Amino acid sequence: MAENGGASQWYRLDNAGVLYSALQKETYSAIYRFSAVMDRPVDRQALQRAVDKTMPRFPTFRVRIKRGAFWYYFEPNDAPGPYVKDDISNPCQPVRFQEDNGWLVRFYSYDCRISVEVFHAVSDGGGALVLFRTLLAVYLRELGHAIPNTCGVLDVDAPPRQEELEDAYGRYAQGKGRRMKHRGKAYQNTGTPEPFYTFNVTMGFCSVLQLKQKAGEYGVSITEYLTAVLMKVILDKQHREAPRRELPVALAIPINLRAWFPSETLRNFILTARPVVDPSLGEYTFEEVLSQVHHMLRLSVDRKRMRAELTGNVRFTQNRLLQIVPIALKNPVMALGYRIAGVRPYSGTYTNPGAFAVPPEMAPHIRRMEVILGQATIPRVHCASISYGDIMEITFAGTQKETDTERDFFRFLIRDGVAVKVESNRTE
Amino acid sequence: MPYCVHCGVELDATAAFCPLCHTKVLDLSQLPDPAAAQPFPTQRGEVAPVAKQELALLITAMLACVAACCGILNLFLRPDRGWSLYVIGAAVMLWLWIVPPLLARGMHLLLRLLVDVVAVGLYIYLISVDLDGKAWFWGLAAPIILWGGAVLLLLGLVLRVYRRSVITTLTILIGSLGVFLFGVEYLIDHWLCAAWEPSWSLVVLTICVGLVIPLIIVRRIPSLREEARKRFHL
Ligand SMILES: [Zn+2]
Repeated sequence: MAENGGASQWYRLDNAGVLYSALQKETYSAIYRFSAVMDRPVDRQALQRAVDKTMPRFPTFRVRIKRGAFWYYFEPNDAPGPYVKDDISNPCQPVRFQEDNGWLVRFYSYDCRISVEVFHAVSDGGGALVLFRTLLAVYLRELGHAIPNTCGVLDVDAPPRQEELEDAYGRYAQGKGRRMKHRGKAYQNTGTPEPFYTFNVTMGFCSVLQLKQKAGEYGVSITEYLTAVLMKVILDKQHREAPRRELPVALAIPINLRAWFPSETLRNFILTARPVVDPSLGEYTFEEVLSQVHHMLRLSVDRKRMRAELTGNVRFTQNRLLQIVPIALKNPVMALGYRIAGVRPYSGTYTNPGAFAVPPEMAPHIRRMEVILGQATIPRVHCASISYGDIMEITFAGTQKETDTERDFFRFLIRDGVAVKVESNRTE
Repeated sequence: MPYCVHCGVELDATAAFCPLCHTKVLDLSQLPDPAAAQPFPTQRGEVAPVAKQELALLITAMLACVAACCGILNLFLRPDRGWSLYVIGAAVMLWLWIVPPLLARGMHLLLRLLVDVVAVGLYIYLISVDLDGKAWFWGLAAPIILWGGAVLLLLGLVLRVYRRSVITTLTILIGSLGVFLFGVEYLIDHWLCAAWEPSWSLVVLTICVGLVIPLIIVRRIPSLREEARKRFHL
């Protein structure tokens, strides 16, 4: 079998992809969703035409995942589709590799909303947003608007470029590698699980201007401010539960490495930062949490350390011993490793891909953007936010019945003088 | 524009309650319009649990294959003895143990235990028929199987209630093992000499009680319990 850059033949999963595919099961979803709410109800036929025109330009999304003897691999998917489907109330359902013609990307429409769901082994949020932006541009062109190929909209008539297909982890894995050292258990912030395949999504909308002003008063960025609010409400929640010993509260914050290691890849290229506050040392005020988060997030974007960590991760999957372990044995081991290194040390995830930029010609047709992270391995909420124009959208999504985290989070914003509007798919 | 009176957040015009605190929206001048477009679709994406069906199919195929192969081999190897029936019976028993719980998600504990016990009983019964052992089957094997099933049922029910604590689980497990073996000796004695003289099972039971006592003490005294939790990360 010949391996090449990824356009027309099989290729290996990147480092993050290896992990997400090994973890995939019925009660965990490495699927995330981006939605655009348009200015008028979606034209399904036009959207399907746009999908059909856009997908060939993105070969790394036009794949199916195959199980080799030792590793999963991707191969081009020439099956019909993917088809635009009617949207459902429980988004981000776990992917099944054999079903839906093997597609790892899904498209939905509901009223004015266009949604794309992507399996994380295929690409990270940064890559998926390039696909989505281009799709929206092609869709608006189908409706008769003139949209130029600027501001990150790719030309769907041009062939895919080699740089977009690269495994950026592999390219930057040089020098000394270092794996993360062992991290202690964090407060788990779990709740009562809902029945099978119920997924509670609550979205809050607020003004970017108000948030910027508020964050400015504290002298931090919006991401830092929202991270600190989330940590503070989780700290307070743990304190209310009055455990014997309060555990540290830590969040997983994905960092887009493209900003530090130039790459145009449309595959995964992220690492995780871990701001942490230990309440067993004493009660932290919001300002103190904010200052911790502010400095920790800045410390974690150290180019040398990030390179050492990603190199360590790449070296780990290149380990000779691990290479020859059959995949059936490797998956449970990796799942256990993820529990220890990826779930236990964190109280939750917060990801903020930032502002969604579009060409000015597109702007009037999009009202707002939304993002949802799929269900965690345990019943707890994951938080994600995206801004478009003056609307910051913040989503809490999880499989737990309780609403404590999101309720306290939005109440905190209200008390801090930021107006919030809330929508949810909860029915009771 | 409705607002939640508790949270202060603005709600969607179609919202009947606040999704954060479940407070009902009570604005008589402007009731939510159920016909208006909801912010989220109401139709749920349903999916059949497939993965387990495939596993069940695979296990069924494997067991059936083993049974068939042994049946055929029996025709050539010592055809005077029906030895393959033992293998086939074991395959049926394993199938009853593994496959129904895989297919029926959330199978009731009682039903599952019943199926398992009946499977074991049937298998032993067939063996007893082959060996002309009707007497020992009804006199000894059946009571032991029933006794084991009863202990398991009790264990299952109790563990369902006390699932949270590792110490309690351990206590109950050790305790029921002792009780089970105690009953086994009673049944054996009863069958062999119609008189009950507890000997080895009394030793086992004492060992179990000895193991359980410290656990109960640890469980009972809060400071010890906390200490154990701390040391063993329970
Ligand atoms: Zn409320």
